[in-house]
Amino acid sequence: MAPPKAVTSKVRSMSTDSGDKSQSDAQYWAELLHLVARDRDREAFRKIYDYFAPRIKAYAMNQGISQQADELVQEVMTSVWRSADKYVDSLASASTWIFTITRNQRIDLLRKMGRMKAEINVETEDLWQIPTEDSTVRSIQALSAEKHLRQSIGELPEEQMIAVRKVYYEGKTHQEVAEELNVPLGTLKGRLRLSMQKLRLMLETKEL
Amino acid sequence: MSKHHPDEVTLLDYSAGTLAMPQSLAVAMHLFLCDSCRAQVKKLNSLGGALLEQSEPRQVKVRDFDQFMAGIDKDGPGESASAIEVPQASALRNPLHGFLPKRLEDIQWRQQTREIAEYDLTERLGVSGFRIGLQKISAGARVPEHTHKGRELTVVLSGGFSDELGVYHEGDFVSRDGSHQHSPTALQNEDCICLTVLDAPLRFLGLYRLLNPFMHWS
Repeated sequence: MAPPKAVTSKVRSMSTDSGDKSQSDAQYWAELLHLVARDRDREAFRKIYDYFAPRIKAYAMNQGISQQADELVQEVMTSVWRSADKYVDSLASASTWIFTITRNQRIDLLRKMGRMKAEINVETEDLWQIPTEDSTVRSIQALSAEKHLRQSIGELPEEQMIAVRKVYYEGKTHQEVAEELNVPLGTLKGRLRLSMQKLRLMLETKEL
Repeated sequence: MSKHHPDEVTLLDYSAGTLAMPQSLAVAMHLFLCDSCRAQVKKLNSLGGALLEQSEPRQVKVRDFDQFMAGIDKDGPGESASAIEVPQASALRNPLHGFLPKRLEDIQWRQQTREIAEYDLTERLGVSGFRIGLQKISAGARVPEHTHKGRELTVVLSGGFSDELGVYHEGDFVSRDGSHQHSPTALQNEDCICLTVLDAPLRFLGLYRLLNPFMHWS
């Protein structure tokens, strides 16, 4: 099933937009997801796959579940292909949507393996709800906040950024991160707290 | 609108998916009741999205796209192994919706003292090493002074209580550990119902220390 020519060329031209890069990236991925949802467009999905599959695999490897890395990629990309119509671009950027799916399926994998401390029978989807319709958080604001967030990350001091990345992207406990960075646990917690406060502050000033 | 929230780092761990399950349940319950933390978690999720998108994996080999799609085609549009159906964006759900009756009034409480009742969820939730339950303290009643060996997370579901450190109302998230010693008292006008997540036994002080042997669990 080849995608119509017009669509493919549209996909190609989208990435050449100049101007705000993070904004155009967000539009690019959102548009691809919509093409997947609307037309089951394989070329659009190929672009998503080629970009995100290796990143999801690297995420899994960083999280210390190398054995299950391919399984995670398989499940996440299958979900993205099948559920692209569930993506609502006013609620979150495409990469955030893919991240939340990845995180939840990683948690499900750990639960299946019995490696999540103190198992609990509540569905993962109930504990970590995927971006929901939320009348209280205005959606336009949500997207512009995301854009600012991306800019703000770059403004964090390096040592704070490293701490955040390790907790987030590598799924390490505070104790493990502290040992790796060779700093006392209290210092690490301080860095995390500072970085969260800084991000919050940067976002507040920009949201005005 | 709640005034007491999980600290930033707890929300970060929750959003990263590294917070232990029982504690994540307490956070999810608070999020169900708190708009501002829900907004904060949205931002943290986008932090995760940005980190994923901006990562630059080197020498990571994944299945070729055409192979992947061949697998999808073979499985057909219906069921495949275990790929999860992503739910439709929908109204927020109470994370315990499958474990509690529709109305808090219909809970089958187990009376512990005349003024304190409990609905233990530990077994139904299949948790080990933690204790999870709802507590109901009659209006105006006081829980004997106690401290904690580990961490106690409390989310107020209805009514409110006060202790040595503050006053808490519906939606508030309270974290206490061994450094705190407190005797929560329900507010005067209505019964207080809380979700409590404990990762180690309570230790009652004073005369009530006699209760201690009964407060352990395996």
